[in-house]
Amino acid sequence: MHNSGMIIEVKDLAKTYPGGVEAVRGVTFDVKEGEFFGFLGPNGAGKTTTMNMLVNLVKKTSGTIKIDGFDVEHQPAEVYKRVGFAMQEIGLDETATAREMLELHGRLYHLPTKRIQEQIAKLLKLVELEKVADRYASTYSGGMRRRLDLALSLIHEPRVLFLDEPTQGLDPHARQLIWNHLRDLNRRGMTVFLTTHFMEEAETLCERIAIMDQGQIVTHGTVPELLAKHNAKNLEEVFLSTTGSSLADEEVNTKASDPYVRGRR
Amino acid sequence: MGTFFSDWYYLSIRNIRQIWRPIMALIPSMFIPIFFFVVNSQSLDRFSKVEGFPAHVSYKQFIAPVAIFTAIFFSAGNAGIELVQDISCGYFKKLLVMPIHHLAIVLGKLTEVAVQSVFQGGLVLILLMIFGVPINTGFFGVIAMFGMQILFAMAWSCIGMIAALRTQNARLVQSMFVLVFPFLYLTTSQAPKALLPPAFRTIVTYNPVTYIVEGVRALVLDGWGNPAIWQGFLVAGILFVVMVSLTLASFKSALK
Repeated sequence: MHNSGMIIEVKDLAKTYPGGVEAVRGVTFDVKEGEFFGFLGPNGAGKTTTMNMLVNLVKKTSGTIKIDGFDVEHQPAEVYKRVGFAMQEIGLDETATAREMLELHGRLYHLPTKRIQEQIAKLLKLVELEKVADRYASTYSGGMRRRLDLALSLIHEPRVLFLDEPTQGLDPHARQLIWNHLRDLNRRGMTVFLTTHFMEEAETLCERIAIMDQGQIVTHGTVPELLAKHNAKNLEEVFLSTTGSSLADEEVNTKASDPYVRGRR
Repeated sequence: MGTFFSDWYYLSIRNIRQIWRPIMALIPSMFIPIFFFVVNSQSLDRFSKVEGFPAHVSYKQFIAPVAIFTAIFFSAGNAGIELVQDISCGYFKKLLVMPIHHLAIVLGKLTEVAVQSVFQGGLVLILLMIFGVPINTGFFGVIAMFGMQILFAMAWSCIGMIAALRTQNARLVQSMFVLVFPFLYLTTSQAPKALLPPAFRTIVTYNPVTYIVEGVRALVLDGWGNPAIWQGFLVAGILFVVMVSLTLASFKSALK
């Protein structure tokens, strides 16, 4: 672990896209080793841009980002070894099986063959895909795809797991299953950085939460701290008072493109 | 450096596996070249009797390299489509957050194109030999022919990859396929240069694909002394360097 005790250190982070759109405007925060950290905000608040900068998928305009003491921009290879990333869009190779994908990822993280086989067996069991491990990903349901995506991001046992809306599009059972996996991973010492639109998800899983709006962090703290600071009964009220929009509205916006929820309406 | 070759190898294996999944996807790229070869060689057979057409060469022999070429155009076009699929589903981003050399991602795609062009071009070549087309430069001529065509296929595949990286638009990348027609047909693929109208002849001279077609044709019909062979290699090599450089530049700009 890095000396400061913080595994993620972000200082004055800013991103201005070509055309002048300021997506992130001077964001500073730290995440402790082993912490479950939640990142909330309305659509367009800059959450995904921030997360993409944390894993060097988007180049920052200014500021510094360190993961486990390594500078993301100048030491990306060291950072990539330490992070896992499950994105909002589930990136799978439709023409490959779960086992083939896990093996390829193990190879690309340069793990020894024996360790890859052990990890594949362990992860398939963890995400309950053992029986379908040799089927093509194109035949998987939404929940299975999300669980495989999670397994892929865990193949190298990362120190930090970045999750961007990990349960979007899942039914309540699959969502609960993912929550259990995440809790378990965090209990074993993995730092989890999560963005979500689901209030229940944030309240249930996250030890500390930061709320972002218009490219800036407007408040942060543990759930009890946030409730006390904003004199609120629940996280929804905190969200409303800090961003001016309701978290429920944000859920509705997100669910408009969510096939599972759309089907239930 | 060891990890670079390992990344390249495993990404190539992944890409090569995609070639035959599903196997049905290979059928059009095998059928179309042979279809055009059979139709054109039968319907235009008398064209070989026209004054100015190479002596002692049948029209079937004359257009045989075009059939191999068409198969290679088809195989090269898939790289861009697969890349844009990886980008749109998010798999490409997954690769970008791994400790791998980004050059290995591009080289993995080019290796797939090379393997597929040898596979598809080889099958078409076997069919052509069954139809009675001889290869005058023999076994080494076949090797040289594939060498030239692999270089060209990899260069051509870069057009789709550049479009995928610059636009991330699947429809646009798929529509790049239409470029095959002007680039293939505004060459000496259908008739010798001497028999083409003057304006057409000028276009053909400036179309780099002409030199590859002529190079392959020289290997099939003539012998090693024909300068079209080294000219074909030279043009294929230049195209390869230019197009791969442009692809790498697009790759870097896609990360900004």
